[in-house]
Amino acid sequence: MATLNTGSDPSSDIHAKIRQFRELFADAPEIGKQALENSINTLKSQASDPPPPIGSAGRVGARLGKVSELTIIVPLAPGGAKRLRAFLRILGGNLSQGANLVGTLHTMRFVFFDNDTRLLFATAYDGDWDTYIDDFVAKIPDYLDIIDSAWDGWPGIRSPGAKDYLASHQITAEGWYVAYPDLTVAEILRNQRIAKAVDEFLDKIG
Amino acid sequence: MTTNEAKTNMTAEQKLQKLRELYADAPEIGKAALKNGLAMLTKELAAPGHAQTAGRIGARQGKVSELTVFLPFVPGGAKRLRGFLELLEGNFKAADAVGTVHDMRFVFVDDDTKILFATAYDGDFDPYIEDFAAKIPNAMDLWLCNFEGYPGMRNPKAAADWIAAHQIAAEAWYVNSPNLTAAETRRLEKVGTAVDEFLDKIG
Repeated sequence: MATLNTGSDPSSDIHAKIRQFRELFADAPEIGKQALENSINTLKSQASDPPPPIGSAGRVGARLGKVSELTIIVPLAPGGAKRLRAFLRILGGNLSQGANLVGTLHTMRFVFFDNDTRLLFATAYDGDWDTYIDDFVAKIPDYLDIIDSAWDGWPGIRSPGAKDYLASHQITAEGWYVAYPDLTVAEILRNQRIAKAVDEFLDKIG
Repeated sequence: MTTNEAKTNMTAEQKLQKLRELYADAPEIGKAALKNGLAMLTKELAAPGHAQTAGRIGARQGKVSELTVFLPFVPGGAKRLRGFLELLEGNFKAADAVGTVHDMRFVFVDDDTKILFATAYDGDFDPYIEDFAAKIPNAMDLWLCNFEGYPGMRNPKAAADWIAAHQIAAEAWYVNSPNLTAAETRRLEKVGTAVDEFLDKIG
C-alpha cells in the first residue's frame, strides 16, 4: 500500500486544495465553473500564502488584525421605523458628533429593509466586543436609547439585559476583509496629523 | 429631494422641535433619552457635512461610500459559498488588487436563504463596479454565481444593474475619516511608520 501523504509537501497541499475547489464548484452554475477554471492559476499561487489573522471579536463577531465587525439585524417596534427614519433624516444622516466620541468606530450604517419591519445596524470598530459596547454605553448612552428605542424588545442601555439583547441579534460574518487591518481609528487620526506635520516641515525647509 | 431640502432649510431650533414632536409617543426609554441627549443633538445639528449620494445608489460621506445588498441564494448556493469562503481562509487578495475597498463582510442571513454583503469603498457606485468587472471578473463570478439571476461580470452593465436592484441605500452612514481613500490610509500608514523610525534614529 502506498504511504499516505501527510500533507507536509506544499505542492501536494496545493493540489489537494485545488481539488477541493473543483469539487465545490462541480455543480455550480456555468458562470461559476468557468470562473473557477480561469482562476486556477491565481488560486494555486495564493494557496501557500499564510492566511490573514482572522479571529473572533470576543463574545460575537469577526476580527481581522485590530478591526472587528458588528452586524446586527433587529425587528422594529410598531411605529419604530417611521420614528427612527424621521430622526435620521432630520439629522441629515449625520451622526458624526456622537460617533466621534466613541473613538473606536471606523464606519457605521443604518439600513431599513423588509418593508421597514427590520433594521440592519453594521459597524467596523477597534478591538473586542465587550469593550466596544462598554464604550458606547459610557460615552453616548442617550444616543443609543434614542435610536434603539425603535427596536422591538429593546430593554434600554442602562438595563442589565442590554448586552444580551445586542449579542442575541448579532450575526457573525463568515467573510471579513479590511484593507488596513493593523490600524485603529486612533492610529489613522494620528497618521493624518503626522503627515500634515511632515508636509509643513518639508515646506519650511524646502 | 424636496422634503430633505425643506429639512435642511429648517433652523436647528425648528429641527429640535420636530424631534420633540417625533418622540412624543415614543417608548419611555426613547423619550427620556431624547431629553437627556438634547445637548448632543444640538451639537450634531450644528455640525457641517451631510450624507451625500454615491451616484446611482448608496450613501457617501466625503470620499467613502457604502454598498449594502441582500442577495437570494440559488439552491445549493449557500453551501457552496460557505465552502468557498472556508477554503479561502479569509484571503481576499482580489480586494487588495481593486484597491478601492475599505472593508467588506459576508453575512449569511434568514436561514441561509440570503446573504448580506456590506462594503465601504471609495467614490461612486458605477465606477466601483466597473473597476471590479475590469480587474477581478473571475473572483466576482466565483462568489456571485451562487445567487439568483446573476448575469455574470462579463456583462458588466447587466451586473451593475443586478447589484443596484438588490441594494438598499443606508438611511444613515458614518465614516470616521471621510477624507481618506483606502489608498491614502495605507500611504499614511507608511508615513507614520517612517516618522517613527526617523524619531527612533535621532532619539
